[in-house]
Amino acid sequence: MEIYLPIAEMSVHWLVILGMGAAIGFLSGLFGVGGGFLLTPLLIFYGVPASVAVATTASHITASSISGAIAQWRKRALDMKMGAVMAAGGLVGTVFGVWLFGVMRRSGQMDLVVSASYVILLGTVGGLMLRESLGVLRAVQSGTSAPARRSGQHLWVHGLPIKMRFRESRLYISVIPPIVIGFFVGVLSAIMGVGGGFVVVPAMIYLLRMPTNVVMGTSLFQIVIVTAATTVLQATSNFAVDIVLALFLILGGVIGAQLGVRAGERLRGEQLRMLLALLVLAVAGRLLFSLVIEPGELYSVTTTGP
Amino acid sequence: MKNVFTLLGICALCAVPALASEDLVSGLSQDTVEITSNYTGTDIVVFGAIEHLDDTGTHDVIVIIRGPDADMTVRKKDRVVGIWLNRDQAKLQDMPTYYYLASTRPLGDIAAKDTLKRYGIGLVNLQPERVFSHHDPEPFRQALIRHQEQDGLYGEAPAAVEFLSPALFRVHVPVPATVTRGQYNAEVYLFRDGNVISAQSTPLFIDQTGLERRLYNLAHDSPLLYGLSAVLMAGILGWLSSVVFRRTN
Repeated sequence: MEIYLPIAEMSVHWLVILGMGAAIGFLSGLFGVGGGFLLTPLLIFYGVPASVAVATTASHITASSISGAIAQWRKRALDMKMGAVMAAGGLVGTVFGVWLFGVMRRSGQMDLVVSASYVILLGTVGGLMLRESLGVLRAVQSGTSAPARRSGQHLWVHGLPIKMRFRESRLYISVIPPIVIGFFVGVLSAIMGVGGGFVVVPAMIYLLRMPTNVVMGTSLFQIVIVTAATTVLQATSNFAVDIVLALFLILGGVIGAQLGVRAGERLRGEQLRMLLALLVLAVAGRLLFSLVIEPGELYSVTTTGP
Repeated sequence: MKNVFTLLGICALCAVPALASEDLVSGLSQDTVEITSNYTGTDIVVFGAIEHLDDTGTHDVIVIIRGPDADMTVRKKDRVVGIWLNRDQAKLQDMPTYYYLASTRPLGDIAAKDTLKRYGIGLVNLQPERVFSHHDPEPFRQALIRHQEQDGLYGEAPAAVEFLSPALFRVHVPVPATVTRGQYNAEVYLFRDGNVISAQSTPLFIDQTGLERRLYNLAHDSPLLYGLSAVLMAGILGWLSSVVFRRTN
């Protein structure tokens, strides 16, 4: 059965949308990422206008992340205080990002900026994660246990002023790094239609040195706040949120997310990170390919006004 | 539908043939297309009759459906240090968002180029009101037409006008799901030996109805409320699913 999307002004098959939502939701629950970096390109590929895809993905990530965050919170794998601090930075970043979105769209370089930032960001993050997780896996195989995290181990970023105690993360660090990370992710959320989990998760692990077990829940919590704000801002400034599209994506997404959380319990942390790294690198590679290979059609058309 | 054709047929027969010049009567199967939740595109039928048909001479019919005009920006990618990015651009003002042409024969056989150009008939003669560009706009205009043809929004169909009798004709016009809402126009031209002898224009409205309409209006009239409801919906569904799944565990 086909359904008509009132904002995207096109008709889609509901099963395709439901399936996309479920697949992305599964990854969301599995890795603690929103999955927007996959869903946005997927929707655009299916023919949804880019602005609608970016904006509607935000609301889908809100739903699947809430579902995932609650599941993690029940397992006490969530640092509410850290999440709130990061979300505060995220809200400022979102406002800035939505403004930047408009500037880039008017200059006609939106596609390039989005693709290029995807390639750089996903390539870097994916490469780092792959290297780290492979290192751990090799160490496990050769019998030497991975170096355990010592709570006294601090980077220079932790020594900045305005320190705060994060009980669940067993950290006493400056609030500046989490706020800056949050801000950066808020910008990404607005211009790339992503929750930013693929940046937050590694940043929490490698930069903030948070224990891996609270990272998933905390990043999901932070993503909920940022993507909810993005949805409202995109709806008010770009009229680009399609609520019918969102409904079907979400229905698939929340189911997938729950299944993903369960599947994640059966996998080890470094295995999860390696799989996520491969996925991230694959998307980066695909986008890089489209930037350097001569496109079949050199011209593109956008409707700019009535 | 059949009744309408019969009626038109009778009208055509009843008309007094003596001294009257040939004329055109045309109509649409519907004067509004309503976009509902299961809308996947539709077909509208343009039908018509030639009154006081004079058998001498070659008759041709051209039917054009035009959608609401919009400004469109066409950008061309170029390779800069190994990366393909948008360089040159042209803004074409007031191009139709939809253009479908059906004719009895290929356009070149119906009339001279100048005649077609004068009436703005055919994709070749589809010109923007104004162009803003530092470059030759022609490749950009052609790229736009290519793009719209691929999306099923522009099309030319020679031989798509069906004659049911020497005087009665009809055309099936495909309206894809991606059409813009607004006022459309159905133009019917009657040619005789390469000259337009009669033309008619009928408006057609395409609009959303029911729930779709209300959602669209809400999104544009009270975007804050709309955005908050989207977030609320996401929140409730996310929370519900975690409750449901805990039960089943």
